[in-house]
Amino acid sequence: MRFRASIENVNTFFRIIQAIEKLQKKCIIKFSEDVMCIICNSEANEGGIQVWSQIKVDSLFTSYRIQSNAANVITMALSSEALLATLRSASSSSSASASSYETEEIVMKLAKKNDQAVLSFEISGMTRQGRKVRVAHDVKIDVMKPADVANLKEPMCPEPDVHIILPPLQKLRPIVERLRPMSDFLAVRANNSGRLQLSIRTDSVTVDTEWKNCKNTSRAAAGSQDPDADAEQRDPEALFSVLVSTRSFFKFLNSHVVSTTTIACICQNHCMILYVYVGDLADAGGVLTFYIPGQLIDE
Amino acid sequence: MSQNGDDAEDAPLPPVLKASVHDVRYFAALLRGVNFVNRGTVTITKTGFVVMAEEARTLLGTAYIFADDSQNSDPDEDNAAFEIPLNTLIECLNIFGTAGYSASASGAGGTTGKYKKWKRAGEDSDQEGDEDDARGRRQSNGTARGIDSYFGSAAEKGTGMRMTYAGSGYPLTLLIAEDAAGPTTTCEITTYEAEPHLQLPFEPDRMQGKPVSPVKSTHQLRTQSSWLRDALSELDPSCDKLTFIGNPPPATNGKQRRLADATPMLRIQAAGTFGSTEMDYPNDRDVLETFECTRPVSFSYRFGHISRTLRAMQSSTKTSLRIDDGGLMSLQFLMPSPRAKTEVAADAFIEFRCLALDDELG
Repeated sequence: MRFRASIENVNTFFRIIQAIEKLQKKCIIKFSEDVMCIICNSEANEGGIQVWSQIKVDSLFTSYRIQSNAANVITMALSSEALLATLRSASSSSSASASSYETEEIVMKLAKKNDQAVLSFEISGMTRQGRKVRVAHDVKIDVMKPADVANLKEPMCPEPDVHIILPPLQKLRPIVERLRPMSDFLAVRANNSGRLQLSIRTDSVTVDTEWKNCKNTSRAAAGSQDPDADAEQRDPEALFSVLVSTRSFFKFLNSHVVSTTTIACICQNHCMILYVYVGDLADAGGVLTFYIPGQLIDE
Repeated sequence: MSQNGDDAEDAPLPPVLKASVHDVRYFAALLRGVNFVNRGTVTITKTGFVVMAEEARTLLGTAYIFADDSQNSDPDEDNAAFEIPLNTLIECLNIFGTAGYSASASGAGGTTGKYKKWKRAGEDSDQEGDEDDARGRRQSNGTARGIDSYFGSAAEKGTGMRMTYAGSGYPLTLLIAEDAAGPTTTCEITTYEAEPHLQLPFEPDRMQGKPVSPVKSTHQLRTQSSWLRDALSELDPSCDKLTFIGNPPPATNGKQRRLADATPMLRIQAAGTFGSTEMDYPNDRDVLETFECTRPVSFSYRFGHISRTLRAMQSSTKTSLRIDDGGLMSLQFLMPSPRAKTEVAADAFIEFRCLALDDELG
């Protein structure tokens, strides 16, 4: 089993892990020949939220080499916190790191130290005085057996009723932040003519926030299998709604640090799927897919 | 869930209250001032409305909000009243995060307190101080907190709000929009039947007959608002008793200074488990704009109650403090309003009335 890569786009990697870390302290990363999949599927997650993401290897890494007996796929479970700390020290963006050196190269490789598998990060940099420094971080990992990997299954969802491009997540976040203390459940509604609503209803208050002129995307663009099913028969004004846990929706909004475009799909009264694109929609370096199951309380 | 933001207007009965503001920050600042308990009572009158909150039958906070041309309030029946959870109302107003805490304490320019300037410069960096325009800068001198970020960003468009209340039993409906392109939020806040509140009549007659008003501030008290605020925020939160001591101002003659040293005009004394603090106010025009006191007084208040007023004090421009014969204290805070152009409408203000502790009366 061999694995080695240099991290080219450390800031993006850092932000992705930042969004993941808020959700789950341990995550699964599956490296294959051309994609890196980050999976958070713990049952204990708030409101049952899951993340299944695919990031193109090219968008983050260079000189990427991978070899394993399981069709050149390596799957590992690791602490997202430790990975984040490593990337923070490697990240050269001034806000994220307080490091006293400038990073020149980061090499990530699989290694074994004292019988413990680690993902070893070697950062070489230059101090302000012009001296060379080398910093190494080892993140403990558990390499997963192929049989366990085969058991990892993405949640099954019916064909979504509506696909809509969300307003910038930075704008959504403060609103959901206010709603969070008021209600545990948030209704998300959208229709096929660009309307999106976030609402809560409790004994003491009802709050509806509505956006008009959002864009709907064709089903094909969002990666669904049968694009034409019954698109014509649907009333474009009909609202489809799903009730989700406010806190898990807020956790999804933590991905605002990395998002450019986000497409929300609603399966009426069943679940919500959110595709957070990393990089441009056309030339997406990757997509984080959040599954938020619907809650069956009222409605 | 329903979306009947407009339904309220279509209802057969004309709404009891219709009001709108261009910028929710001023309104939110007023509500925050009285948000020391969750439930507040709103009374609608012809001229505006009054929000009241009380604690421990001792402290009564009242915000007076007057309708002007930026609000339009046309109540059909006078004095309709309802109770409302203030927290929820404020959270709703702040739904876009645009009714921020940095409410202004800046009045008309004039008194400049150079001694405070360094403090402001420090604040500047971590608030949105870059947006300060020249006007904000000029007004900011002498006030410590938050002010300038407020006025500096006055150029940017505020969040507008329309409010309707159809009458007893109906919810209070708010319609909030940031701008035409952005989202609109409709809130319906459940209202409750108003319960009678504590009556604490402040007796101006007693003040005239046997006048006991250590501080009576009438004009240009911007510095004073921050003076009082700084004094109170200096105190340790573990204090439990606050005593206001007032003495008549010394006669204006050559001995003034010596007399003033002996008996301070205004002293604030705080006592707690870990010790006590005394603060004297000098007889200085910059500090106390006006000061009236006819005989020495000393009244104590629970610090927990006085500290409830800090939030209102922080966003106010001027402060007036009065104490009557029985020790009832009235603190009035003049709140900033969007524009000074309206001569007709009175400025909004918040008044707190607080009863003195009994053991000091003997």
